[in-house]
Amino acid sequence: MITLVTGATGRLGHAVLECLLDSGTRGIRCLVRPGIARTQLHALQEKHGKGSIEIVHGNLTQRRDVARAVHGVDRVIHLAASMRGAPADMFLNTVVGSKNLFDAVNRSQVRRIVVASTLSVYELHDTSPRQLIDESATLERHPEWRDAYTHTKVVQEQLLHRAPLRESLSCVVLRPGPLYGSATPVLPARLGLQLSGCLLQLGATAALPLTHLANCADAIRFAAFDDRIASGAYNVVDDELPTANEFLARYRATVNRIPTLRLPLAATLMLARLNERSHKRWGAQVPQILTSYRVRNLWRGHQYATDRLKSAGWSQPLATRDALNTAFSAWRT
Amino acid sequence: MLKIALVGCGKAGENHAREISMLPDATLVAVCDVEPLMAEQFAARFGVKGHYAEFLQMLSRERPDVVHIATPPQSHVPLAMAALNAGCHVVIEKPLALNHRAAEALVRHALRLQRKLTIAHSYHFDPICRLMREMLDDGVIGEPVHVESFMGYALDGNFGLPVFTDAGHWVHGLPGKLAHNVIDHLLNKVTEFLPDDRPHISAHAWQRDLRGGDAFAMPDEMRIMLKGARVSAYATFSAHARPVSHYLTVFGTRNTLHLDFVAGTLTRRSTPSLPGVFGRLSCGFDQARKHAQSATSNVGRFVRGEYDQMSGLRYLFARFYECIRESTNPPIPYADILRVSALVDEVFAQCPAQRRQTA
Repeated sequence: MITLVTGATGRLGHAVLECLLDSGTRGIRCLVRPGIARTQLHALQEKHGKGSIEIVHGNLTQRRDVARAVHGVDRVIHLAASMRGAPADMFLNTVVGSKNLFDAVNRSQVRRIVVASTLSVYELHDTSPRQLIDESATLERHPEWRDAYTHTKVVQEQLLHRAPLRESLSCVVLRPGPLYGSATPVLPARLGLQLSGCLLQLGATAALPLTHLANCADAIRFAAFDDRIASGAYNVVDDELPTANEFLARYRATVNRIPTLRLPLAATLMLARLNERSHKRWGAQVPQILTSYRVRNLWRGHQYATDRLKSAGWSQPLATRDALNTAFSAWRT
Repeated sequence: MLKIALVGCGKAGENHAREISMLPDATLVAVCDVEPLMAEQFAARFGVKGHYAEFLQMLSRERPDVVHIATPPQSHVPLAMAALNAGCHVVIEKPLALNHRAAEALVRHALRLQRKLTIAHSYHFDPICRLMREMLDDGVIGEPVHVESFMGYALDGNFGLPVFTDAGHWVHGLPGKLAHNVIDHLLNKVTEFLPDDRPHISAHAWQRDLRGGDAFAMPDEMRIMLKGARVSAYATFSAHARPVSHYLTVFGTRNTLHLDFVAGTLTRRSTPSLPGVFGRLSCGFDQARKHAQSATSNVGRFVRGEYDQMSGLRYLFARFYECIRESTNPPIPYADILRVSALVDEVFAQCPAQRRQTA
């Protein structure tokens, strides 16, 4: 039984591979783009044996590479996505790459595909922050009004909904929150914007919908291998999360005292409107970083339900308090 | 209002669409990409009504006045021929064609059909280039003696990274590979000063850093020396010199002009007017004053919305559309376009990308 993992050289990919190997999964195949550093993959091969991971070189944008990678595969864990770069490249890599993969999977004997998406795919601009967001919430209808990453992720999910997938193929979409827990300290975008070494803390100060890498990786393992999970979408967010202020206070106390300016929601919306007008007046000279639409979607403190995944039998393996302790102590060093 | 259509929904296409959207007398009516998803997302982001995967279908349904071709260079000639045959004028991304002969055939075809054609030599119309031409006309530098054109490149940037993670990337199919995709920007600034049909050329290219393994063997450093009857030139392409620079220096018999395309500044270097050590002392202050003047004028450009890196492209499009409406000559003479393609052929004949060279 072979499991294909795309995006294995990324931070989530590494966490998923560690999780799979630690749980005894073998027969892992990784599709890796040539020219990408594979140090971490080789380290895992060293630790778990050379045969634990098969590396297939190729690019999701090339149908021939994808067909070769999918050949003989039973399960697919699709994590590959462009996080930055020109929007056109992000679309090519994430959307066209996913389309090629879904087409190849549909034509093959693959029994289950798990796709990593994001909590950002929901359209929440007119949804009250008091309403708990579950998987039935509307998918963004104007992804082009959001950032390029969210746009690609929404279209990626739409592809799955539109595609006439064969009945024997189980298709699971996981929607994690901003990931934390890698070696490098990261301030989640839901906290605000980082500009020239300063933080503009934006919007509401409610609990941040974060997901620790280890928890996300375990949810992906569960989605790929547990028979209790049905096709569909699942939110993945840690329990008992800190508020934006609590997270920031701890970050400033342990990692670095980043100069911070806090803007409440009303001020954030005013700043967004100013950014929109400046962009309209001066074009590409003033990039459109903030828009009222994005602010209303991202920085109003929405909370997300994870009941669906839990009722399927998954439980968070790393308690949030321990996850935060581990992350902050790693960042301190 | 001119109806514009665009084929090729990648990064270059984004630049075209952004600049077209800022022009008052043109509207982008349709976009096309061989990958329907790329065309669809592009249309959504730029608010374009029509999106197509079939180029000929777009031409027949939309009947555009102008077609912008921003696809990989391998498809420029067939797409441009089809657009010209459909009665459209064409704007083509650089390089115009894969070789000089194909470029000549394309220009001949446009002339025969009495359609207009131009190439997206955006920096040629950058505000500082236009200012330089005014200064040349005023005799500020005297007679040009030597020109240096420098273009840096970030291999891990938005354009470089996709090339080195995809062995099937179209850049690998260009005769000069990576350098071929940028050499137009390097040479079109030089040909303006070298009217010679056949300047002496000496070109050298090598790969300094073999990243990604043998699949990605290609020169990432290139030096070209050109010598005409009255003016000589150096052209440098470097993927490793930091910071990534982009400049043109024009040495004249009276003064020298330095155009920095990253900062958007144009400064004049003159012989000190004060004698001896006082002249040397004054040089730094003189240069600081000229940089301050140039930076101040950039604030004005910013206010007028002319300070983004692609404002030269917008100016080129505006002049091209104007020449269509007024039946005048295109902003870039065909002879200049063809002289660049002839130079490119000669450069890659001397240092073919297929033969891996080391420093």
